Amino acid sequence: MSDAIILEGIALVAQEHLGWEGPVTSEMRLVEDLRLDSVRLLTLAAQVENRFRVFLDEADELAIETVGDLVAIVRRKLGG
Amino acid sequence: MADPLISGPPISSGTLIDYLEQAGRQPDGGVRFVDRSEQTTWYSFAQVRERALGVCAGLRSLGVTRGDRVAVVFPTGIGFFDAFFGTLLAGAVPVPLYPPVRLGRMEEYLGRTTRMLEVTGARLVLADSRVRRILGKAVAAARPALGCRTVEEIRGPEGGAGDSFDEITRPDPSDLGLVQFSSGTTVDPKPVALSHRALVAQTEIIKSFWRDEPGFRHSGVSWLPLYHDMGLIGCVLPSLARDSALTLIGPEVFVARPAIWLRSLSRWKASVSPAPNFAYSLCLNRVSDADMAGVDLSGWRHALTGAEAVAPSVARAFCDRFARWGFRPEALAPVYGLSEAALAVTFSDLSDPFHSVQVDREDLARDGVARETDDGREIVSVGRPVPGFRLEIRDRDGQILPPDRVGRLWIEGPSLMDGYLGAPEATACALRDGWLDTGDLGFLHGGELYLTGRAKDVVILRGRNYAPDEIERAVEGLPGVRAGCVAAASWLPENADGERLVLFVEAARHATPLQAQALPAACRRAVLAGAGLDADEVVVLAPGTLPRTSSGKLRRQETLRLWLAGELVPPAPVTPLRLAGTMARSGLAYARLRWSRNG
Repeated sequence: MSDAIILEGIALVAQEHLGWEGPVTSEMRLVEDLRLDSVRLLTLAAQVENRFRVFLDEADELAIETVGDLVAIVRRKLGG
Repeated sequence: MADPLISGPPISSGTLIDYLEQAGRQPDGGVRFVDRSEQTTWYSFAQVRERALGVCAGLRSLGVTRGDRVAVVFPTGIGFFDAFFGTLLAGAVPVPLYPPVRLGRMEEYLGRTTRMLEVTGARLVLADSRVRRILGKAVAAARPALGCRTVEEIRGPEGGAGDSFDEITRPDPSDLGLVQFSSGTTVDPKPVALSHRALVAQTEIIKSFWRDEPGFRHSGVSWLPLYHDMGLIGCVLPSLARDSALTLIGPEVFVARPAIWLRSLSRWKASVSPAPNFAYSLCLNRVSDADMAGVDLSGWRHALTGAEAVAPSVARAFCDRFARWGFRPEALAPVYGLSEAALAVTFSDLSDPFHSVQVDREDLARDGVARETDDGREIVSVGRPVPGFRLEIRDRDGQILPPDRVGRLWIEGPSLMDGYLGAPEATACALRDGWLDTGDLGFLHGGELYLTGRAKDVVILRGRNYAPDEIERAVEGLPGVRAGCVAAASWLPENADGERLVLFVEAARHATPLQAQALPAACRRAVLAGAGLDADEVVVLAPGTLPRTSSGKLRRQETLRLWLAGELVPPAPVTPLRLAGTMARSGLAYARLRWSRNG
């Protein structure tokens, strides 16, 4: 799966489950730019897992700061 | 059976060890864990006990002795039970701390955990292997004498031959049985120290509310964190004491898919499940009709709502929406409690639908008088004191106020804390002559308690307590913010679905109006990054506007009160930021508009 498709999927999750209305780019930081509080971060993690059928683990999540980081982890989990 | 509301205080001569020893005789006694795919794992209490005895043996050979504090950092799962009960069996005192949240803010988490390890003087940290990897930095900073270990290491390679009950050191009921944090904070953590006696007394109180009937055994479901008083003391301990089934869902699983909570209640035919207001609201917003296919909520007898202010609109909407799936309105029962009392202080009548009063807004705000009126502010009853507890509403001078007068709630009962661990001054402020100052404001009406606000500095959001300094610190140092002049508070606006977080920020003297205008957005970002919370309002004020005590301490609740009354104004003479007062007022108008739309 290409980064662009993963990014699109994450953008859809942000719109459907997090009430995000603007564009989503890989440079955006989850907390500061997407304005995710701790409950929304949890929601994002779970919905990304559902959408892409992957399981993120703590070690992965520690390194995630931006949307791009999340895209890269999902790609790796999908074996890409 | 005597009416629990008029019987005397429960007998509380035992310890938590007695519960563990006696459990495991009923075929349905145990814990079930539900994962995110709704797969379940079951452990009988006999298995829980055997595992804990194994951990106890390991802890003792490691050198853990009576009275040692052991931090227990686990997600919801059997590991928590191994560590928690293993620690108790070793005569030591478990200190449950929360595991890291998903996706981030790790620095803040580690800083807070370090501080909590330090103030409790933890000798050992028990964690699962994943959490342990993350905790490294906190452990290195706090340096617990026995380090950080996993339960598997403690129990030994072959699962380890466990201790027997003949070998263990039995605690005295007056020994500490648990240290829990009322709110996680690095600034001024308050570890609540509870004796076995208090924990047993509270467990017996809760037990007394659901009695089995011929052919019917109560059982519970909870998604509440196990480091939270309502999850641990409210759900785990009574289930153990009753030797009955408890189905547990991780809080992260619930937040991601709230329907799992309702489906588990139905699937396991559970009768009792408590949760904060936020959970009921989340179900309204995030559970679809399709999620509810085949779900039957008619067996849910006691849907307790506590740990944060109860929004009447949410309670009503939940009853209405889920009636279709058999939810009974009388099941929803507002309750009130706090960590310092182990947990429950009042319960509303469990056989009637919840009720509320409407009181005149002006009389309430100006004179602290609750006068019933049509179309007033609606306040939900949280019920009557649980057995063994007494309530008093007192004025500032400590005089007892009559019914319908708002004052500070003081309580007395068999499960009060010994004090804040290692903080005699804070303890002396909270406990006087056997009574606890809850810091909550309210009035009594018809013998029932109604809460109107707080006198203490604590922010309560989604059932969790936050110290305001934690939130304030996140914006300190932002360009344009006056140093030390930030106040955070939360309150339940009328018609809102939960408490709202408001941040009052004084602009620096040199700040231009343009800089001041940019402050709300910058502050919101900083609070998200620093505290993981989304501020609903940021009110920018002129320097000197925040009210303070004579010794210069911020008066947060007074700030909130003035703001809500539209009276938060800058001091004379007017500074270059003379618009700030107007901004604050327009903020209020905006807030009112927004909340009323929710209604």
